Amino acid sequence: MRALWIIGGIVLAAILGPFMLPWGYDVIDWNWVRAPAFTQGHLLGTDSIGRDLLARTLVGTRVTLSVAAAAALVALVIGVAWGAVAGWVGGRTDEAMMRVVDALYALPFMFVVILLMVVFGRSILLVFLGIGAVEWLTMARVVRGQVIQLKTRPFITAAEAAGAGGAAILWRHVLPNIAGVAMAYLLLTVPQVVMVESFLSFLGLGVQEPMTSLGILVKEGADEMDIRPLTLLVPGGLLVTILVCLTLAGERLRDRFTA
Amino acid sequence: MSVLAVHHLGVSIGANALVRNISFSIAAGECVALVGESGSGKSLTCLTPFGLSPGVASGAARLGDVELCEMAEADLRPLRARDVGFVFQQPLTALTPHLTIGAQLEEAAMQAGAPAPSRATLAAMLARVGLAAPEEKLAQFPHRLSGGQRQRVMIAAAIAHRPKLLVADEPTTALDASLRRGIMELIDSLRREEGLAVLLVSHDLASVAAHADRIVVLRNGEMVEAGTVEEVLRRPQQDYTRALIAATPKLNGPVPDLPAIGAPLLEARGITVSFPRPGWRRGRLVAVDGASLTIARGESVALVGESGSGKSTLGRAIARLGPCDAGDVTWEGRALPERSRMTPAHRRLIQPVFQDPVASLDPLWTVGDIVAEPLHYLGQGRSEEKLAEVLAAVDLSPDLLSRTPRSLSGGQAQRVAIARALIADPQMLLLDEATSALDVLVADQMISLFRKLQRDRGLSLLAITHDLALARLLCHRIVVLDAGRIVEEGRAEDVITSPAHSVTQRLVDASREAVV
Repeated sequence: MRALWIIGGIVLAAILGPFMLPWGYDVIDWNWVRAPAFTQGHLLGTDSIGRDLLARTLVGTRVTLSVAAAAALVALVIGVAWGAVAGWVGGRTDEAMMRVVDALYALPFMFVVILLMVVFGRSILLVFLGIGAVEWLTMARVVRGQVIQLKTRPFITAAEAAGAGGAAILWRHVLPNIAGVAMAYLLLTVPQVVMVESFLSFLGLGVQEPMTSLGILVKEGADEMDIRPLTLLVPGGLLVTILVCLTLAGERLRDRFTA
Repeated sequence: MSVLAVHHLGVSIGANALVRNISFSIAAGECVALVGESGSGKSLTCLTPFGLSPGVASGAARLGDVELCEMAEADLRPLRARDVGFVFQQPLTALTPHLTIGAQLEEAAMQAGAPAPSRATLAAMLARVGLAAPEEKLAQFPHRLSGGQRQRVMIAAAIAHRPKLLVADEPTTALDASLRRGIMELIDSLRREEGLAVLLVSHDLASVAAHADRIVVLRNGEMVEAGTVEEVLRRPQQDYTRALIAATPKLNGPVPDLPAIGAPLLEARGITVSFPRPGWRRGRLVAVDGASLTIARGESVALVGESGSGKSTLGRAIARLGPCDAGDVTWEGRALPERSRMTPAHRRLIQPVFQDPVASLDPLWTVGDIVAEPLHYLGQGRSEEKLAEVLAAVDLSPDLLSRTPRSLSGGQAQRVAIARALIADPQMLLLDEATSALDVLVADQMISLFRKLQRDRGLSLLAITHDLALARLLCHRIVVLDAGRIVEEGRAEDVITSPAHSVTQRLVDASREAVV
């Protein structure tokens, strides 16, 4: 659970950190362009147009994490609803609903997101709606499997015998019992979304300047990595830490609930 | 010389001494049975010396002339591979699903460093354990085999390397009465013909009485009594042993008094249930074929049959808790609606009690919420008075109300399930193997509880079981099912004393072993 503590620390820093810095993420310090670390209150130096790197990294983390959390929530809602209905109703309905999932899986989803961007213009809302709408597929499959497994358990039959209708059983017995597994996969969805968001931003399709995200910072850092490696290493390292920690925590939770 | 000699064996996990001071020995060709309720330490006693449990062994356990206790795992492994075979309770999960029977058997035969056996040898092994068409079975995957067949494969694998000792940990508990007998007879023949020593773990005194030479009775990790089957079962010295023997259902003994029967309550006519065939094959598998059944007020009927005979499917179709293709069910002359149209008011009439008590309770709910659930759907809301009343009826302390199912024992959980069934004031209980997953002593308490409910509340029972001795204790009538059809029906005593159909005879024979 150390991974969760690290994530907690990063989240806290991303939320509170920017308020504690003298520099805003979009404020240009004309005196110090491309400042090295530890100059004039710029702990990590400044970027190519004189903006404080630490402030930008913290705000970027905030943006990346909130996009990820929002997209994962969208994935949770759609995925759980879709999977639970398919698994519970079963038969032809299940077949049809899962074929839809298969078909969506087969689409190159990065391409879909990029298309959405091109058609509707770039907006942060669209970024996470788009990502969330594609990331629910795995959740739907997992939830469906769990529901099918639960359906045959005696306590579900007992609830039916107690007089519960289908909706009541689903709401009172099935969903609470899959909540743990759904939470675990939610946690595993977040790093995937972080990755997608960073990739889109890296391509210049994600959030727009002067707003920033870890992906944009990595891209900017990559441009200057030969002269000032810190500009790549800091956001890059943070990104990797977030991905690793979330994945570890998610897998740990998943193993606990599916064992 | 004995194959296995255990002296003052103790097993501890962490600081807990779970087994203390156990001694017994097994000679070649002999079968020693460890008997006791769950938690008595039977499995720990038989597995720990071989390094197969999380426990640490103390004392002495000699296999031939090798001392097992204090041996390193690395040294135990080749010993297990060479001299000991193991059979476990769950034939369904003990075989790897993605390997063919042949591949698994080959692996078992080669574990002692023997060369790869030929196909003919493998087929001979399967034939040895009484499997028909062994050549064909070699190429099949475990899911194609029935429970009894899988357990035979497990035994074939366990003896593939010709061990001196077979450790069988509840090998028949998951099987029905006639399969149970077949497996035990197979083990007997291996003892006779190959001089195999057998260490049997069981809580089923009936089969122990028929197949073991000596018995060790365990309780809370200590030896209560030990001796030959004759000594222990005919002249038990300890109260605990006597209680175990008394609790084992028997086919003889006094005929129990059952309450009087009233007017017809439930009538099922021409019930037919079928399932789609698995895989891509077309057509349907008929599980129940035009079965008809009547139950009167206060009457108890046992639905008996071997595994796969469709007895559970029929019971559930009648209670509208499972699929039903054709046929109708009337309750006091009025038709019961189909499954999806059943209202809570209909549901309250027939309440089920299932085999696995813990699995039939929602793990996230408290006992109080579980028991009160039917009231919720009847629109009555939770009533503490009613809760107290049903808990008293099933002899449960009200302290349990805020506990969750995980913290209950099997017996307590089954009482909670029965309390839930009783709270809406039902007129009939559907007992779906309600005692077969429980220990002998607990099962006996459940039977007394059902008899009390029969008497005090005038409840009708429909008991689904493969145990005729149990049917005899609870039921007026026995209905025998085979391959989805009712093949015999009559007064309990008549069916047991003069069974007409071959399936009934088989079941009676298997239960006869219960005569201790």
